[in-house]
Amino acid sequence: MTVQKDPEGTEIRHLVGSAVFADQNVLEIGCGEGRLTWRVAPLSGRLTGIDPEAEALRVAAVERPDNLCETVQFVRASALDLPFPHATFDIAILSWSF
Amino acid sequence: MVHALEEIHRTLVPQGILLDLRPLAASWAVEVTSGAFEHQVGRLTDDPQAPVYDQAANKSLQKAARRRWFIRESEASFPFFYYWDTPEEMENYIREEWSDFIQQDEALFSATQDAWENASVDRRLRVRVKMHLARWCKR
Repeated sequence: MTVQKDPEGTEIRHLVGSAVFADQNVLEIGCGEGRLTWRVAPLSGRLTGIDPEAEALRVAAVERPDNLCETVQFVRASALDLPFPHATFDIAILSWSF
Repeated sequence: MVHALEEIHRTLVPQGILLDLRPLAASWAVEVTSGAFEHQVGRLTDDPQAPVYDQAANKSLQKAARRRWFIRESEASFPFFYYWDTPEEMENYIREEWSDFIQQDEALFSATQDAWENASVDRRLRVRVKMHLARWCKR
């Protein structure tokens, strides 16, 4: 099955219009398999993607582009209990996760 | 959900930004396009529970605002398109991936097939999802 999601890049254009990502430490909540991660991470200083689904995170880790290995990390976690210290992130994205 | 917002508030730096990005239950349109021509075949039928999730999310954010965790700075909506190569692929995707919140509509699937067959060779098939994006600042 082939599906293309937002090939126009409308979503990332709106995100970029909403916040300055350059050099920012970003938390993506509900990163899933990383569809949006790969679009936001190149614009950010560092990105942490969290998701409660282990299989989705496995796919995301496998598909992580080589040039993003240094800047992107994935953590299996729920937004209800974030395993990070106070005041860690500059930007948090609730990514399709409400 | 309010507890998740409290956690996000905790882990953001002072003046940190929360971006609330989500699709809205809004009877997403099925469209066949060809060049600049757009034909709306019909609309998907939201599961009756789907709008309840939107309301719950909004209430949680309102509660977070009342607790002075965040202040909303901007809000926008925009279209997000899913494209498939054939009506069969779209139908299968909707059945497999969206069955939790979209009701299966055989008449719409049939109408989509008809519209597809009558469209020109450069035709494309898509669903227009209504997206919500709000920027909140940590107080």
